[in-house]
Order: sequence, then structure tokens, then C-alpha cells
Amino acid sequence: MFKNYFKIGWRNLLRHKTYTAINIVGLSLGIACAILIFTLVTFHLSFDRFHPELGRIYRITTEFHDEKIDYNSAVPQPLGESFRKDYTFAETTARIVDFPNSLITITEGKDIKKFQEEKGVAYTEPSFFDIFNYPLLKGDKRTALLNPNTAVITGSLAKKYFGTADPIGKTFRVDNKVDYTITGVLKDLPPNTDRKQDIYVSYVTMKQRYSWFASDSSWQNVYSGSQCYIRLKPSITPEQVNKALPQMSNKYYSGRDAKIWQFRLQPLTDIHFNKDYDGYVDKKYLWALGFIGLFLIITACVNFVNLATAQALNRSKEVGIRKVLGSLRPQLFWQFITETTLITLFALVLAYGMACLSLPWLNELLKSKMELHLLDSPYLSLFLLLTTILVIFLSGSYPGLVLARFQPILALKSRISQASIGGFSLRRVLVVTQFAICQALIIGTIVIAGQMYYSKSIDLGFNKDAIVTLPIPINDKTKMHTLRDQVATVAGVEKLTLCHQPPASASNSNTGIVYENRPEEEHWYINMKSADDQYLNTFGLKLVAGRNFYPSDTTREFVVNETVAKKLNMTPQQLLGHRIKTNGGTLKGSIVGVVKDFHNYSLHSQIAPICIMPDYTDYVSLSIKVNLHNTHTALASFEKIWNSIYPEYFYSYHFLDDRISEFYEMDKIMLILVEVFAGIAIFIGCLGLYGLVSFMALRKTKEIGVRKVLGAGIHNILWLFGKEFARLLLIAFLIAAPLAWWIMHLYLRDFEYRITIGPGVFLLAIFFTFLIATLTVGYRSIRSALASPVKSLRTE
Amino acid sequence: MIKISDLQKVYRTEEVETVALNHLSFEVKEGEFVSVMGPSGCGKSTLLNILGLLDDPDGGSFIFNGTEVAHFNERKRADLRKRNIGFVFQSFNLIDELTVFENVELPLIYLGVKGPERKQRVETVLDKMQIMHRRNHYPQQLSGGQQQRVAVARAVVNNPKLILADEPTGNLDSSNGNEVMQLLTDLNEQGTTIIMVTHSEHDSRYSHRIIRMLDGQTVTENILV
Repeated sequence: MFKNYFKIGWRNLLRHKTYTAINIVGLSLGIACAILIFTLVTFHLSFDRFHPELGRIYRITTEFHDEKIDYNSAVPQPLGESFRKDYTFAETTARIVDFPNSLITITEGKDIKKFQEEKGVAYTEPSFFDIFNYPLLKGDKRTALLNPNTAVITGSLAKKYFGTADPIGKTFRVDNKVDYTITGVLKDLPPNTDRKQDIYVSYVTMKQRYSWFASDSSWQNVYSGSQCYIRLKPSITPEQVNKALPQMSNKYYSGRDAKIWQFRLQPLTDIHFNKDYDGYVDKKYLWALGFIGLFLIITACVNFVNLATAQALNRSKEVGIRKVLGSLRPQLFWQFITETTLITLFALVLAYGMACLSLPWLNELLKSKMELHLLDSPYLSLFLLLTTILVIFLSGSYPGLVLARFQPILALKSRISQASIGGFSLRRVLVVTQFAICQALIIGTIVIAGQMYYSKSIDLGFNKDAIVTLPIPINDKTKMHTLRDQVATVAGVEKLTLCHQPPASASNSNTGIVYENRPEEEHWYINMKSADDQYLNTFGLKLVAGRNFYPSDTTREFVVNETVAKKLNMTPQQLLGHRIKTNGGTLKGSIVGVVKDFHNYSLHSQIAPICIMPDYTDYVSLSIKVNLHNTHTALASFEKIWNSIYPEYFYSYHFLDDRISEFYEMDKIMLILVEVFAGIAIFIGCLGLYGLVSFMALRKTKEIGVRKVLGAGIHNILWLFGKEFARLLLIAFLIAAPLAWWIMHLYLRDFEYRITIGPGVFLLAIFFTFLIATLTVGYRSIRSALASPVKSLRTE
Repeated sequence: MIKISDLQKVYRTEEVETVALNHLSFEVKEGEFVSVMGPSGCGKSTLLNILGLLDDPDGGSFIFNGTEVAHFNERKRADLRKRNIGFVFQSFNLIDELTVFENVELPLIYLGVKGPERKQRVETVLDKMQIMHRRNHYPQQLSGGQQQRVAVARAVVNNPKLILADEPTGNLDSSNGNEVMQLLTDLNEQGTTIIMVTHSEHDSRYSHRIIRMLDGQTVTENILV
């Protein structure tokens, strides 16, 4: 029986090539996107899931309970050790502190090799490798990092540094300061872990480099790279620990600080997704993608159902004959399902191929290393199986029921009309569904693109264009002044400033502030930007009150932003001359100027209260405003000068606007993904629309002929098609618009500074949909309208 | 074999009520060859549909082989139909996507006959109808006469007790028509009961008896043999 079904199914597919092609192309595009989205979502869900006793691993995080609650994924450096001593909750506790951008030097005889490692090095304790499943290829994980100046590096890094030679016992130097001997080789970290470092050095060595930071008393600061992981004992619940942690605040902080500094456990499984801390991707984006994937499949199925029910008439004779010969409804139903299965299987194979081909593109976009192995991944196989079944039944069952329901006598006499098949209203509902999905995606694309454009074009309050930043690798006043003075003479250099970071940066230091002689710190933190007196000038920061600070190497005067005045409930003018203390009282002076607010973070965050003050000990970059005509030669001169001053370091530079656009990386990725998927949804929708209008044209041939004989013009005929689709698109819009508005409203809530979704967005979306629909429907309609009525009438 | 009494069928739309069969009664014995004649709209096709269990009557009784079948459900009707009745249509009604062999094979598939036996039975009947050489052709590659021979082959492949023929020669020229009528006569002589609806006086002369209908009723019955 099934052989017969397959045979006739196969031949039918061959006979109706357009119909088959529309279905297969539509379905395979839909399924391919679904496969990619599935791979993407499961890849992210798999992050750090491979560690043993996953449910018992937590990270201790810091919360600052003040005016509002601020979250920090890191903890004060001594916390881990104290937790180990003060509590018995954990089976294992491990501290890890990573510092990015390290210079690695390897000396072999006279040969000196230098590598700039962007991921830097991590100081950690041996217990880290007990908690986390990062196996060692060589060496003993329990002892490898026990002694000072020992290191563990990954296999691929070992190969990069030492080639095929055995790396154990070899040494390397970090930042021209401390030597390490390799005692272990790590298996390369898998792509689905949030831990990126390739170099791990013994924690005890940290004192040699950062004595103040590494001391057991540095409880007053949190460096974002300083983290503490624990594995709880099986009998301990995280609630028990969270309940006990305030005791720690009371023990190590006094007064107001004991209330402000709070610590909490964060499950390891939450780390990748929690944007309050350092999560990579919010789960809601994954959900959104999942829904888009589902919608794409639904859109493709809708095509299938639409075309199949429209086509049902052509199958009526066959159904009639089969019924006369004794076929029952279920048999006819299953016959149709078999045909659908054939199409779906074709589409599936094609979709898998497409997904494999486009995965590298997706990996490049996301800077990830996802893989697609059908046989290795039971989840993928299960997903494909379920998708196939879903698609077959979503698309096959309704047409199957319609066909099986045909009355044999009517079917044989070709007396079944489109009306008696019914389903016309269902097809309308489906087209509406399809276009509602397309329009929602279009609106989404417009809003995200609008917000991205806004982020790019908004006046950040400072000049970010044509600014080159060079690193200051060591804190040597003479050298940095030499660098500044020599770079200033290069042709094309307009202005330059030595500073910690540009006005907007991913690297920030926030500290408490004491205003005048108030007894305690304010309930908010101030963002410190140390820089020389050329900072305002170079970045075009505008003073709204007072003056710039005088040239100096140390802090005596401050310039603050308007937000500071707002926070203190004063006008900028009133602030002038008042004294402030920051950084735990180490920096003090009077406010001499107030600058207009500028965006120091991405538009996701509010503008912080900021103070700018000279403090050469904190300068790590030289920012240079260059004339774009001379960039090329200027950059070459910078490198030459820099290398002559810092021969033992690694030269690098970057443009400020590139760094700022990195703030919106996730948004850009989302935009591209939504754009692509919206494009595919629209394409699938158009395929279906084209199929439907072709079918309608065929059905209406006689009607058109009669109308033309009776005097209808081409425009009347075109309107015959147009009014039907225009109405459906409008209904789709009425459904999509509020839904898309609501979802995009939620999306925009993540931005402190955002566009408003005005009527323009919706007008654009509906205009765009109409344009596409007109193009799709137009050609076929015009052809029908132009057909000679004599010919049209003869076809019936 | 067939006994219908007081059979009624009325087609209703919202405004019009058309009486297709008006208290019709007659009997057909096993082995008979009966022609049903009458002008268009007299109810011949409705009668044939009811006899073929493709349609229900609105009233009256229909006894097939001693069983009352007038109110059988779809499943029972389909089962009775595929075991006992073969159909031959004016427009052949072959499935365009299947070859000659596959078209003839179809009733056996629905009867659940196993592959090898199916092959043998289809080949026998194709041989008998002299279209064996066309077994792998598709219907549109055949002449009208050949197509009707395939249709007859399909109707008889499951050895039905009854063949219902709806103007079997209507789409054929006279020589092909005669050939098909001869096929039906041969089948009848081998014991198959045949009821044929026709407009052709010539064809009706092949049968034993002619039932003439008008407005859903029997007008006359002529016995030819």
C-alpha cells in the first residue's frame, strides 16, 4: 500500500514542479533556519554544563545595597580565603583573578619571542581545576599550581610557544616582570565555556606583582576579574549559605559598609545568561530566536497547506476513483500524509545541507565555534525527528482531511467546486498568520535598526571620531611624557591627552565620594577618569560652569559632570569651589569646573556621575585626535615612536569609535539575525503568495473572461486580485502591529536612552509589506488581466 | 441478487427540491444483463450511484445478495463495494499518474491481496483484455478504446459479482464501442451480473432486459431475451 502511495506521490511531485518547488524551497528554508537556531540555542544552553556536580557549583558575587542595588560578578580578592576559613559549607573553594592583555616573553638562548595575549593570564588556586572539568594533558592538577611561579597553559598555546618540544619545565615571562615555569598542560578549553584564558599561573605569585591587591586586607575594592567559585557539600543548600553570608559583611566591614557590601551565591548555570552580572546572552533573546524559528516553520507549513488545499481540486478525480474502488477515508488521509512526508524529507535533506553551509557564517557572526553533527548529537537528531513529524502533520493533515472528505460521485464528475472544498476562509486565516509574522519581524527589524542608528548617530557629548588610542604599558612618568611630546610633533596630530581611558570605555573604576566635610560617603558612586589637562580639549567636552583644571601630575582640582550636580541637588555653578574626596580619601581637591553630561557607558546604561582629575599614576593610554587625511603616515610614525620608547613591549593601537561600536555587539548580532530571518520569512511568504495567486488566476480564468466580455478594464481585473490581498494584509497588520509594538517595547526597555516607536515604524512596515506583496502578486495578476477573453473562456 | 423497493432520492438546495428517484422498485437476478435507459435527468445516474453504494437513498429498501444495505455506513459500503462491485465509466476514470498495470492493480491493493498474487491476477486480466503490451504505459498514452479496456480490466480484476457500467461506450467510436460491449457480454456469459446505463439503443440490444425511466420512475420494462 505504502509503495503505491509513494509512487503516486513521487509522480505527482514531478508533475506539479512549481508547486513542488515552492513547497520544498519554502520548507527547507524554514527548517534550515530552525536547525541553525536550534544549534545556536542549544550551544548557549550547553555553556559550562560539562562540569561534574554542576548543581553544587556556585560563584560568590557582590551586591552593593545603597541608593539602588548594583551587581558585580566579582568579589574582593581576600573573600575566597575568608569564606574557606569562616564557613564549612563548601567542599572546595577556588579563587581566580584574571588580567587581560598580557605580554608573554619566551627566551630560548639568544632567541626572544614575544606574544601579546589578549585573553591575558589568570591567577588561580589548584582547587579551580578540582571544581571545573578542564582536564590536564600533562602534569598533576592537584599540585601543578601549588608553588609560586608555576603555570599551566593549554596544549595549543604550548604548541604556539614551543612547537613540538615538551613544554613542561619551560619558562616564560609575563609583562616583562615575573617568570613562570610550566608544570602542566591543559587540554584546550571547549568552545562552550565562559572561561577563556589559556594561561593559568599560581595564585600565590600574585603578591609579587600586585602586592596591595593581593593582600588579605584589600576588602574595599572589587576588581571585575577577581572571582570566587565554590562547590557546596551535598547536604548544603544555597539558601543556607546566602543566609549566612551577611555575617561576613559584618565581620569585614564596619558602619554603613557592612550594609552596603553584600555577597550572594550565583549558580554556575546562571552565569552565561545573567546580564545583571557578566552574562553573555540574556535567555529572553534565545527564547525570541526560538520563537522566530518556530514562526519560520509555521510560515513554511502555511504555504504547504494553502497550496495543497488549493490544489485539492486537481486531485479530486483521483480521490473519486480511489473511493469507488473501495478506499476508505483513513487510507486516503494516509496517502496524502505519505506525499507530505516525501516533500518534507526532501526539504529536510536540503535544509540540513543549507544549515551546514551557513553555519560558518553564523559562527563568524557570533565569534563562536558551533558544530553541526547529526550523528554525534542525540538532541539534534531528536529535534529533527520531532520537527519532521510536526511539519508533516501541520502541513499534511488538513489537506489530507479535505481530500479524504470528497464525495466520490461529485469528485468523479468534476463537480467539486472550490466552495465545496471549503478551506477558503482557512486559507485566508493562514495567509493572515503568515503576513502577521512577516510584519512583526519587519517591525522588529526597523525598531532594532532604528535603535542601532540612534546609538551610532546620537551626540555622545564628546568627540569620538578620528581618535587613536595607544597603550602606556608601564607607569613611568618620563617615558609617557616623552611619548606624548614626540607624538605631538607628528604631522596630522591635532590634539592629544594622557589618560586612564577615553570618556566612554568598557573599563571603568567607580568609587565612593565624600562631599565637603559630610560625615560619610554619598549613597552613590562616582566614575573616576584620570587624565591630563588636555582631556576636555581632545575629546571636545563642553564646560557648563567654571574652568578646566590646571596642568598637573597629581590631583588638586576636579572637573565633574552635570550628573554630579544633580545628584547633590545643586546647580553646576553652585558646585564650583567645593571640595570632594574620592577613592577612599586618597584623591581630594576642589571642583573647578562642570562639564556637560556625556555618555560614558553604552546607551544601555544611564550616564554616571563622573569626575575628571589629573593623576599620572593611573594613565594607561594616550588618546590622539588625528587629521584623517594623514592617518596612514601618522599611524606609522606612532608605531615607530612608541617602539623606540617601549622596545620591550608590544605595540597596538585602536580607534575609539571602533571600541564604542563594540558596546553594541550583541545588538548588532541580534539585528543581523532578525534581518536575515525576517528576510527568509518574507521570502517564504512570497513564495506562498505567488503560489496562491497563480492558483487564483487559474480558477478565475473564466470569471475574468466573462468580466472582460462584459466590459471590465484591466484595472478592474487587477483589483479583483488586489482587494483580496490588500484586505488580508491589513488584517495581518492589525494583529502584528500591537504584538510587535509590545515585544519591541520590551526590547527597548534594555536601553536607558532609546528611540520611541512612532507611527513611522508601522507605516514603513505596512508600506514595505504592500510593496513586496504587490511585486509578488502583480506579475501573475497582470498576466491574467491581459489574457484574451476568448482564450480565457475556452479554457473552462 | 438486487431487489429495490420504493426507493426514493431527493436533492434539496435551499430553494429547489429535485426528486431524482420517485418510489422506484425493481429486481435484478444473478447473471442478468440489464440496461437502464431514459432521457437526461430521469434519475439513471442517481440509481447507478445508489446501486454502486456510492450514495444513500432517502427512503425505501435496497437488498443486495439478501442483505439490506440501504443504511450501511461508509465503511461497510466501501467494504461491500470493493468485494462485489466493479465500475466502468463513460470517461474511463483512470488515474493519470499510474500506469496501466498500476491502475488495474489498485482494487487488489485495497482488497489486501499480496504482491505476487496481485501481479499474477493483473497480468491474467490484462492478457484477457489484450492490453498486456501496454502495461507500462500511462493512460494519456492510450487511445480511448484502449483506455476503456483498461477500465474494464480494472472493474473485473477482483472478480466482482456485479458490474455497473455508466455509458461505457459514450466516449468511443463505434468499432471501439462494439469491442467494449462484446467484452461486457463475454463477462456476463461467464456469470457476472451487469447493469448498464446507456443512451444507445444499439448498446442496449446486448442486454437481456431494458428498464426505461422517466422522472425518477420506471416507465416500461422490455425483455429482449
